[in-house]
Amino acid sequence: MEPAKMASPKSAPKDAQVMAQILKDMGITEYEPRVINQMLEFAYRYVTTILEDAKIYSSHAKKSSVDADDVRLAIQCRTDQSFTSPPPRDFLLDIARQKNQTPLPLIKPYSGPRLPPDRYCLTAPNYRLKSLQKKVSSSAGRITVPRLSVGAVSSRPSTPTLGTPSAQTVSVSTKVGTPVSLTGQRFTVQIPSSQAAVKSATPTTPTVQNVLINPSLIGPKNILITTNMVSSQNTSNDSNTLKRKHEDDDDYDNL
Amino acid sequence: ERQTLLAVLQFLRRSNLRESEEILRREARLLSDDLGGSVATVASSSPGVAAVTAVPPGKGGARAGGCGVAARGWRLPFPGGTPGAWGSPAPPAASGALRDAEVQGSVSGVVVEDQPDVSAVLSAYNQQGDPTLYEEYYSGLKHFIECSLDCHRAELSQLFYPLFVHMYLELVYNQHESEAKSFFERFHGDQECYYQDDLRVLSSLTKKEHMKGNETMLDFRTSKFVLRISRDSYQLLKRHLQEKQNNQIWNIVQEHLYIDIFDGMPRSKQQIDAMVGSLAGEAKREANKAKVFFGLLKEPEFDVPLDDEDEEGENEEGKPKKKKPKKDSVGSKSKKQDPNAPPQNRIPLPELKDSDKLDKVMNMKEAARRVRLGPECLPSICFYTFLNAYQGLTAVDITDDSSMIVGGFADSTVRVWSVTPKKLRSVKTAADLSLIDKESDDVLERIMDEKTASELKILYGHSGPVYGTSFSPDRNYLLSCSEDGTVRLWSLQTFTCLVGYKGHNYPVWDTQFSPYGYYFVSGGHDRVARLWATDHYQPLRIFAGHLADVTCTRFHPNSNYIATGSADRTVRLWDVLNGNCVRIFTGHKGPIHSLAFSPNGRFLATGATDGRVLLWDIGHGLMVGELKGHTDTIYALRFSRDGEILASGSMDNTVRLWDAVKAFEDLETDDFTTATGHINLPENSQDLLLGTYMTKSTPVVHLHFTRRNLLLAAGAYSSQ
Repeated sequence: MEPAKMASPKSAPKDAQVMAQILKDMGITEYEPRVINQMLEFAYRYVTTILEDAKIYSSHAKKSSVDADDVRLAIQCRTDQSFTSPPPRDFLLDIARQKNQTPLPLIKPYSGPRLPPDRYCLTAPNYRLKSLQKKVSSSAGRITVPRLSVGAVSSRPSTPTLGTPSAQTVSVSTKVGTPVSLTGQRFTVQIPSSQAAVKSATPTTPTVQNVLINPSLIGPKNILITTNMVSSQNTSNDSNTLKRKHEDDDDYDNL
Repeated sequence: ERQTLLAVLQFLRRSNLRESEEILRREARLLSDDLGGSVATVASSSPGVAAVTAVPPGKGGARAGGCGVAARGWRLPFPGGTPGAWGSPAPPAASGALRDAEVQGSVSGVVVEDQPDVSAVLSAYNQQGDPTLYEEYYSGLKHFIECSLDCHRAELSQLFYPLFVHMYLELVYNQHESEAKSFFERFHGDQECYYQDDLRVLSSLTKKEHMKGNETMLDFRTSKFVLRISRDSYQLLKRHLQEKQNNQIWNIVQEHLYIDIFDGMPRSKQQIDAMVGSLAGEAKREANKAKVFFGLLKEPEFDVPLDDEDEEGENEEGKPKKKKPKKDSVGSKSKKQDPNAPPQNRIPLPELKDSDKLDKVMNMKEAARRVRLGPECLPSICFYTFLNAYQGLTAVDITDDSSMIVGGFADSTVRVWSVTPKKLRSVKTAADLSLIDKESDDVLERIMDEKTASELKILYGHSGPVYGTSFSPDRNYLLSCSEDGTVRLWSLQTFTCLVGYKGHNYPVWDTQFSPYGYYFVSGGHDRVARLWATDHYQPLRIFAGHLADVTCTRFHPNSNYIATGSADRTVRLWDVLNGNCVRIFTGHKGPIHSLAFSPNGRFLATGATDGRVLLWDIGHGLMVGELKGHTDTIYALRFSRDGEILASGSMDNTVRLWDAVKAFEDLETDDFTTATGHINLPENSQDLLLGTYMTKSTPVVHLHFTRRNLLLAAGAYSSQ
């Protein structure tokens, strides 16, 4: 779209002319013609929202008509809600002083990719896979216990990690052995276990930690390669069943 | 307690201030023992107190001084609590104390500007006389200044703008709308041309409610505008204003202006024009006196503390390179510590990994083949034009070894291209990784998945235009910051997003990795810059002090300091160790959009919307050069690898090359200059300009010197 020079056509409605004049007063000389439409739309929406709020307030106060106080109150409430402004300077100076007093944390050497705790990263999968096979009841009880990845991911639009290659579960709560990972990247991997039909977990339980990653430096190449033992995981997971919420897998399957 | 405090207030009105402050102090000590509610009540009633103490202004230096000291003492017993509310009582009285202290030419030792200032409620402009007479006061002052001697007139004219704005804001705040409008109409044309943008914003603020949303104007009201005036001019002004009929203006001056007096010749208009322009006036001399370690860190060849014998011993068995490359860093030549360089462990820095060492070796190899630039040998410029970007290209960065280029776009995508023929690959999936031979020599190649090789990778994740991008020095990570308030860390090995750093809740305008990796800085609309580390989800340092958005943030080459440029037209230098502002540079007349440190760490170049590039000596805190030539905003500045050439790219579709060596030589910083901060800039922009290179219709957004001193430039083609 090429920005047009400011030229109000003769047949523009009065509102558009007023808006063009406002833009000119504020020093904006070059703008696309659709800007006026957008500004008018915003103005209309804002004013109607305020007036509707003001009507509600005035009827709440049992007044017969809307007066300036109601409008003022409506404006104030909307400002606090939609049009927030950055914190005031004294507040910023204060939190800055508090933050700047703590010394810089020391850096642990050779700790692999330096990322915040998994809870604050976007490296966990935000989906789970439905199992394709019937649940196999083993001696250890229900294996179809939800396995949880790092929590609180569902609300975030994150790209799935590479650690979900197959239809099996994704991540484990307790580590056994060392998981697979790579320099600069960290993801959980399951070596596919053929027998257990397990569902991947809902990512909504933040209580279980994914401590799968166990970086270990091998030689000068900085590659962290670790492997995951699956079989023992099943047992360890069963021990976790008591700790975690059960999910009703049947209902989910029947959906 | 409320009752007692009200009683105290009554008492205050009838008695003299000093006694009242004593009482209040005792009150405060009593109240500090109760927690919770009492703090709030004291805070809420303290506004009344503060207003009262501020009401009789100019009562007398001693009393105001006592007021201020006591008020400050009062503030101390309240640790924590709501910062805004209880922090408020100190400043009006404190500013009163400091006012008088300043006026007598001594510094009280408290930097008012950085203390928590009054909240909006408290910074009530007091009625300094009749609102209808404001125009009289102002025109009276104007008449006086215009009739004064030439040598004083330039300096005293500095008063016009801050006085105008403060008087106008006071009228608006006290709800004298019509008087405010006529005051504005009459006098806004007299102001300097470079304040026009501010005046336009002001013209739209006509009611008290309008001011609440405008943080910049609120900050302006509560901070003191700094003026540098010679003692003679100041005496003249003071004598005039202290006459009976001009008392009101004197009160306003005392309340809102900080006059930094120096002894010596008054400055000429030219000198003043070079330094003024920012929203906070100029910088106080004390603000630029702190010691700054602008030297570079020693580049260790190996991971051992540098010692003479060790260095030689390591060299034998270590790298095969025998020749010492010409490095501009302090490294090999001087065995002693550079006095201007920070100690190695001043801030914790990540250790050198093997891949980093390999990279350094590559860097040295390339440096050996580097072209020495100079006025006779200008760099070749290779321009990367982004086509079909539809004016959506908002940020560009290039890796240090010039292998990848990233573009941040207004459609919230981040796109990474490979500049070399080698395509971008992501690592294999975990299943495949388990199958490769981990002991082979080319394992780093084998982990890459050939099926994913492509020239372009698109990264999705942001929910707003991406305004800043930065590669990490080890090329493993990419940062991008966006209008959605987050800074995202992407992995360049899997091309996925790793972390979203949430702290700014408002658009983040710029971000940059530290030259050593691990740390990064971001600056945004909330007027602060934040220092983060990749493994902390909260910032480590908050650099607060700017009056308006922080538009540009850069690390110093030694990673100990951060420069921020802001829409309030100042550039500040912050210390990473403790978050203090160590330098304030004023002089630009528009928001600053580009910053560049010279490779030797001594100088800083800044570019703004006014089309000028200003050069600053960090050690002395002075402006040392002004490069005029561009006609539009300068968005890109870069020094060549050895610091001989400064390249600037602008919205006027040109790249200009300037002779940096010549600009920085013969710096005469005698005692007078250092003491007073006066500068006499030579008009040598034309001499320093080595070349102007025009693009067809592409504003230059980014500049980058390759390791061999080839200049890469980037921009998006815009068809008009």
